[in-house]
Amino acid sequence: MIKQKINVKYLISLGVSVLLAFLVGAVILLCTGHSPLEAYGAMFSGAFSASRHIGDVLEYAMVLGICGLACDLGSRVGIFNVGGEGQLLLGAIAAAQVGAALNGVSAWIVIPLAALAAIAAAALFALIPGVLKVKLKVNEVITTIMLNTVAASLCQYLAKGPWKSSNKNLIAATEQLNVRYWFGGLMRGSNLSTAIFAAAIIAFLVWYVMQKTTIGYEMKLTGQNPRFARFSGMRIDRKIIVCMAISGAMCGLVGMFRVYGAEHLYRSSVSNDYYFEGLMVAMIARYQPLATILLSLFFAVLKIGAEGLQQVGVPNQIYLIIQTVIIFFMAAQGGFLEALTQRRDLKQILKAGKGAK
Amino acid sequence: MSEFEKILSTVFSVGTLQQMLRSATPVALAAIGGSMTEHAGIMNIGMDGMILMGAFFGVLGSFLAHTALAGVGLALLMGVLVGMFFALLVVRYKSDEFIIGCALNTFAVGLTSYLSRSYFGTTGTKGNPALPALHLPFLNKIPILGPMLNDQSLFVYLTWLIMLLAWLFVYKTPYGFWLRASGEKPDTLRTAGISPKRMKWIASILCGVLCALAGAHLSLGHLNGTFAENMSNSRGYIAFACVIFAAANPAKAYLAALMFGFFEAIGLRLQGYVSADLTNIIPYVITIIMMVYVVVRKQQRKKKAAPASA
Repeated sequence: MIKQKINVKYLISLGVSVLLAFLVGAVILLCTGHSPLEAYGAMFSGAFSASRHIGDVLEYAMVLGICGLACDLGSRVGIFNVGGEGQLLLGAIAAAQVGAALNGVSAWIVIPLAALAAIAAAALFALIPGVLKVKLKVNEVITTIMLNTVAASLCQYLAKGPWKSSNKNLIAATEQLNVRYWFGGLMRGSNLSTAIFAAAIIAFLVWYVMQKTTIGYEMKLTGQNPRFARFSGMRIDRKIIVCMAISGAMCGLVGMFRVYGAEHLYRSSVSNDYYFEGLMVAMIARYQPLATILLSLFFAVLKIGAEGLQQVGVPNQIYLIIQTVIIFFMAAQGGFLEALTQRRDLKQILKAGKGAK
Repeated sequence: MSEFEKILSTVFSVGTLQQMLRSATPVALAAIGGSMTEHAGIMNIGMDGMILMGAFFGVLGSFLAHTALAGVGLALLMGVLVGMFFALLVVRYKSDEFIIGCALNTFAVGLTSYLSRSYFGTTGTKGNPALPALHLPFLNKIPILGPMLNDQSLFVYLTWLIMLLAWLFVYKTPYGFWLRASGEKPDTLRTAGISPKRMKWIASILCGVLCALAGAHLSLGHLNGTFAENMSNSRGYIAFACVIFAAANPAKAYLAALMFGFFEAIGLRLQGYVSADLTNIIPYVITIIMMVYVVVRKQQRKKKAAPASA
């Protein structure tokens, strides 16, 4: 019963925030001389008018969803993984280089090896902030932010230097993968590939473990009440570190999916701060796995739809504005409502005081 | 050996030092602002967005009014507004400062790119009225330091003044004392009759203003009236690293910014020898090591203090 009540409340606050964000977007559109109706119409048709757009929506929803779930996983045990962007890039470049180095070997060997390389690179990189947090209590938000830049610079160095493509037209990219390693496309002209099935399995597993198993319950306890969890005999340190590593591995796999499914080589466009967008989706979903997946779909529609805006001459960045304004409203709502109820309570108390006299 | 000497002489040349000062200034301004919020107990990772907005509105003001000063004015105004907005959400409505910071960064990318495309088209804008560089003839008489300090943009000199004022403000005035207390011991401050929330508001607004200045310097001074999309280029995160490195001391934050500037400068200068991407990594790694060192030392002190008090 209680659970249902919370869900309804959450849905209302989400709905109101989305509505208000679109209103803010409409005001900005009006101020810059565009018709909001026309723009939102173009956005809708941008996402659904052609099958390749729908394919792109699904691909981007996959990226957002897995990144968001990676964030959920960490936050469930009380560690905040902001370093997914770096982990994603490292996973991508490791997988790309495995594919390039083993060119000619059977795909049945190369693809699992590439996935392993992506997982290993990203998980190891995620372990640094995880171990620092658990053993030394160093704030993981700060270390992961720093490590993001470290990873991005390292990948840039590798793509420009030792692992550079022989194609002179590419400034910072690794060798293009042999066509037979590419994940098969599912919709003509879109980035959607068979990777989405692997992503679906990962998403299901994460959801299942977090929501339906004892381990998931223990994770929740570790995040919400670490002292209690420790005293009831759980090894919370190990849980935190393992969750951080898995969170990193998921980001690394997203990098691999991007390389083998869409880009077919490593370059910086493998991720354009995609993890941060996934992280924001997770925030809006209040770190609930199912909500994260559903909202990734919603934001993917917005993002891909926004590309249709250019046809009516509206810069597509309005999408970022709408997305972040939703977050502002959702984040402020709790405090805003609290302030309102406090004022009401105060009035009631004052009234009661007067009545007593 | 001669190769090595050549590298050394490039690393420690006047050009490198000049470049260091130039790259350090926008980061330092933001880091001084970040020190304020850090002292008030707010982990502000939204500085990148604040800088970006300052950069854009600086250029916009300069473009519309044909004078760089108007740009600085507009940037400052927006800085106040952004700081107030940040405080409204984080202090008044008690939202998670991290979420708001993250969202603010993305919001700034969205808003400035959107407006920039509306006003200037897809490629951004160049050659708007810029802030002048100052030429001080007497400085050239001092060897090395003279040419290093001379002919810099106005803000390079202004930043020293701001750093000094910020340091005095934080450590030598009652306001600074309250500011630090609002982060460390808010309840004690409340007992003393001063609202910690008000100090947090002040800190946020100061941070907004200083980041806006950093942005205005970046677009109007450093790059002579240019705006390009996402031009803050993670400087807000570097500034954040400086704040952490300096434990929120404005003077040390300036030095930390110089360190980041130094590594950026040698990265640019040593392009034939080492990749700039690799030299970029060094200051971040140093910051992490520094953080670990600070934390470990604190824990050791606690351990030492514990038996004494028992």
